[in-house]
Amino acid sequence: MRTVASRVLLCAVLLLGFAGVWQLQHAIDAQLAATHQEQDDLVLRSGPLLKAMSLEYAPLIADLYWTRVVQYYGNKHVRQDTNIELLWPLLDVTTTLDPNLIIAYRFGAMFLSEPPPRGAGKPERGIELLQRGIGANPEFWRFYEDLGFIYYFELQDYRKAADVFLEGSKQPGAMVWMKAFAARISEKGETLETSAMLWSEIYNSTNEPSIKKNAQIHLQLLRARADCTQLNKIAEEYEKRTGRRPGNMRELVNADLLPGLVVDPAGFVYSLDAEGKAQINPASPLSKEQSIKEKLP
Amino acid sequence: MKRVGVVALNTFREAVRDRVLYNLVFFALAMIAASILVGQVSIGIEEMVIVSLGLSAISVIGLLIAVFIGVALVSKEMDKRTLYALLAKPVRRWEFLLGKFGGLVLTLTVNTLAMAAGLFLALRLVKHSAEPLEGAVLVAVYFILLKLALVVALALLFSCFTTPLLSILYTAGLYIAGLFVTEMRNYQSETMSRALQSLLRWLSYLLPNFENFDVMAAAAHGHAIPGMLIAHNTAYAALYCAIVLAAAAAIFTRRNLK
Repeated sequence: MRTVASRVLLCAVLLLGFAGVWQLQHAIDAQLAATHQEQDDLVLRSGPLLKAMSLEYAPLIADLYWTRVVQYYGNKHVRQDTNIELLWPLLDVTTTLDPNLIIAYRFGAMFLSEPPPRGAGKPERGIELLQRGIGANPEFWRFYEDLGFIYYFELQDYRKAADVFLEGSKQPGAMVWMKAFAARISEKGETLETSAMLWSEIYNSTNEPSIKKNAQIHLQLLRARADCTQLNKIAEEYEKRTGRRPGNMRELVNADLLPGLVVDPAGFVYSLDAEGKAQINPASPLSKEQSIKEKLP
Repeated sequence: MKRVGVVALNTFREAVRDRVLYNLVFFALAMIAASILVGQVSIGIEEMVIVSLGLSAISVIGLLIAVFIGVALVSKEMDKRTLYALLAKPVRRWEFLLGKFGGLVLTLTVNTLAMAAGLFLALRLVKHSAEPLEGAVLVAVYFILLKLALVVALALLFSCFTTPLLSILYTAGLYIAGLFVTEMRNYQSETMSRALQSLLRWLSYLLPNFENFDVMAAAAHGHAIPGMLIAHNTAYAALYCAIVLAAAAAIFTRRNLK
């Protein structure tokens, strides 16, 4: 009986104690937040110095730094914070500590290259990182693919993109479509079809959910863009017939120019802007994505 | 309480006999050397470097003492079989534990205060202006002491049910985890499920938050530390120590010492 009572007492003490700790922690958090603003900091920015200091554990430290990169980028991304200045030094240190950490080059280049708020908007840094990756891992042909994407999507340098895809196609083990991409970009430059091909390749070749989702959004936006082009042609036909631009999509349906209301890949009916041009419905989630990706080819 | 005091005093005496406080000589020499060196090589940030260096040294030396001596408080008494003679006297087990805790905290207090005196001496040597740096440094030293008390309590808890080696590992592990509590709480990622994020958030409140006591940067820059933070941190450390010691006492009381 005494043992049971003492156990109950102990449980009560622990529960009440932790409840008190919980309360105190909230009070301390509020005070600490008031006394100093959150600051991003990277104390040791020198990769070579860190490598020397980490003795034979450099790969382990590189893994830790890579975790830090993901965490840093993830936190910034979720909070829609566009200040990701530490991304490059973190990646620099990570890849210096472990030059064979393929994932750091590939994801890092993507994080660096994409325009804000999705990335740092520094494609030149992404290219630098990938070129470093190629130098350290010449057998990994996928770096050329990533490099080609950056030249194509972020820099719109189609000639360079074609060159990189061609160079990559010559690497041992490279897929044949690398050569096809090179030829297509070299021949036609920027087209919706080429962009769709490239994003489809990204979508199919990755198992990473966030990258897959990103590629899917790009593909959906490309489809929406193609739909809008088509709808604009129909609106022009309507204008020829009636002498005025349509006010809404329903008018196109009533004029038998459309079999029914057309929806975007997110399931929202396309709308017309003030000038009567087709656009993604502002209520559609794709509309927000589109405003982020103004640069979408 | 008198019995607790006697055990505490004896623990302190034992630590002194074991030459635990010898590290102070090392610290004093290191601080003097650092202040001379820093005065030569740094321009404008001598005080900042001295404060950072001094507080880091106080923290590291204190942590080493807290962990290594903390885990040996009980096991050493058992190995030497002095515990049996002690418990045969009218001393309850929880009194013994509380006394041991008090004794080591007293040792750490003397140690930390002596090192802080060394730090202030070094500061005086390099200081060129009369900026109000000492107040913040003193608070930082006090926070280190609170942190060390918490570490001693944890070391004592683990030493009540496992081997010294494992106790060291558990205490060090919990200390390191406690330094990343805020990061754990604010971790947001698209790749992590909401359930796991909630779990991490809950866990972050249960783990001892050693980040609360980290005001080293503020002290180095001479920023004032609010009085309420001092009060809350004191209450936090006292409450957490009480919880841990209650758990330790419960385990130790039930432990079969035969």
